[in-house]
Amino acid sequence: MNNTILSITIALIFGIGTFLMLRRDIVKVIIGLSLISHAVNLLIVSTGVFDGEKAPIISNGHHDSSSGIIFTDKLSDGIFAPIVPSGMEVHFVDPLVQALVLTAIVISLATTAFILILAYRIHEEYGTTDIRKLRRLRG
Amino acid sequence: MNIQEHLPILLVATPILMSALMIMLRSRPTFQKTLNIIVSASLLLMSIILLLQVWNSGIQVYEVGEWGKYGIMLVADLLGSGMVVLSSGISLLALIYSLDYIEGKSLNTTYHSLFNLLVAGLNGTFLTGDIFNMFVFFEILLLSSCGLVVASENGGVTKISDKMEATFKYLILNIIGSMLMLVAVASLYATVGTLNMADLSVKISALSDAGTLPWHIYFIALLFLIVFGNKAAIFPLHYWLPDVHPTAPSPISAMLSGVMIKVGAYGILRVYFLVFKDALFLLQPIIILLALITIAIGAIAAVGQKDVKRLLAYSSVSQIGYVFLGIGMGTAYALTASLVYLVNHAIAKSMLFLTSGGIIHHAGTRDMHQMGGMVKSAPLMSSMFLIGAMSIAGLPPLGGFIAKFVLFDAAMLGEYYLPLLIGFAFAVFTIFYMFRAWLLMFWGETRDSDKYGPYSSHGLSPMITVPIIILAAAVLILGVYSEPLIALSSEIANQLLDPQPYINAVLGGSVR
Repeated sequence: MNNTILSITIALIFGIGTFLMLRRDIVKVIIGLSLISHAVNLLIVSTGVFDGEKAPIISNGHHDSSSGIIFTDKLSDGIFAPIVPSGMEVHFVDPLVQALVLTAIVISLATTAFILILAYRIHEEYGTTDIRKLRRLRG
Repeated sequence: MNIQEHLPILLVATPILMSALMIMLRSRPTFQKTLNIIVSASLLLMSIILLLQVWNSGIQVYEVGEWGKYGIMLVADLLGSGMVVLSSGISLLALIYSLDYIEGKSLNTTYHSLFNLLVAGLNGTFLTGDIFNMFVFFEILLLSSCGLVVASENGGVTKISDKMEATFKYLILNIIGSMLMLVAVASLYATVGTLNMADLSVKISALSDAGTLPWHIYFIALLFLIVFGNKAAIFPLHYWLPDVHPTAPSPISAMLSGVMIKVGAYGILRVYFLVFKDALFLLQPIIILLALITIAIGAIAAVGQKDVKRLLAYSSVSQIGYVFLGIGMGTAYALTASLVYLVNHAIAKSMLFLTSGGIIHHAGTRDMHQMGGMVKSAPLMSSMFLIGAMSIAGLPPLGGFIAKFVLFDAAMLGEYYLPLLIGFAFAVFTIFYMFRAWLLMFWGETRDSDKYGPYSSHGLSPMITVPIIILAAAVLILGVYSEPLIALSSEIANQLLDPQPYINAVLGGSVR
């Protein structure tokens, strides 16, 4: 249930972002871009596991023998970690996706700051925020 | 401590540190310039040493933080280190050129810093072995190149509002490309559970052998085609390039057209031939089709241009199509041809953009119809532009001839007759539009030199002419003595088609 709501939310944010990016106003385009970047961030987080309450620290070796979860790859046997036996819930959150999302957030902060300043300078040069007026380059 | 082991990280870390240092040194412009040239030259030296090391003793892997395949790895194989040599060489020459070309105020404040970030982004993209890290370096490349496009040049030929407009288009389109790349990377991670490219390759081929390859892997591969096609300006995504490359100052145009659009070709080569080699059968016809349309559109649009840099930009669109044609054919010989083409086009096109900067400096305008008869007043620029035009058009004895010859030979051997025919037809177009530009600018009536801008009397300093002459010499040498480049390219092509040494080198050390 949770996953369905999450997927619909991500899809809605993508949709709203795309809609805003097709507007004429530069500021709306920029808001659309940052909405899309938020949607992507949500998508990345959602690839980790959500239901966990424990910190992702493997304490007792590579095999959690009590639960049967396998954490290491063994390609000769065709094992891709992590493998969770059926009927078991995973109580770990994947820490890597959170690191990825932090990086992505910082990057989208930098690009948004740059593009807002660029929009301000465009407003100064052209005297408009209508994106259809930005067509001096052609040929 | 053995310094040679640390070359991959030094090639990335030095320019990043320098970019911070250059901001602090902005009150001492002379020291800043000297330091930047020394750093750039030493980066070129380091990259050549790295290439020689990789050539002699195999793929070199550098684990940042010693996390094994779970952390970031820098992998210097022949493709990556070769691209680093190419980009370091062009960036050193472009930097020397820009010291006299860029306006003093813009040069002393942020230019050096952003230029170093651009170099760091290029080196990082070519050396990284981690697909998310590649995204991060793409963003570094994007933001630093945006800052460099709006840098103003001496004489003010390009209006600042044009630069703003071009940068806005470039930024919006490339951010969308980056978002798509993030979506693709996240889906890949959710499917396979790793981000290391060698590990991805092993796991995807294991899944494929077991017959359980999920169907959405093909969609992820297509998303990567959009991402890298956007970087390389392939047909449906090419329309930002003719706005951005001409409005940038000439040394930056040389960097963008010479190296930045090759990043897309590099990404296709790296990601497709390593990670998605099981999906290649589906992608190669698409790449060939897009490459042919790109060749046609670029060449046809270049014929009608009156702005010299816009013509060169459309020519870049057309020429990158030839590189992708070789990638699409996908045999070892075709990949060799495509790499030879890539190197030759990078050198010839960056030289042409630097030369066009000299021409604009002399004439004070970018409109070719207002120039004319400059063969007398600017003999050096006319001969250099002729060399570049001949190389792009593929006339012997210059590098472009060897590149086109090898590519068409590969198409003939691979029995791709229709692509060969189309490619050949538009190679004739290339000759036409390059020589039309040369005739318009350098022959015909001599215009009154009073009409030329205020900088025509300034003359061309050695800082502008020497990089152009070095690149022209490289174009000529690659045409006359091309065996080393072809040998290197065919070795790279073999490594691409058989990624097992790469995978062994990357995954061999990690026992966690």
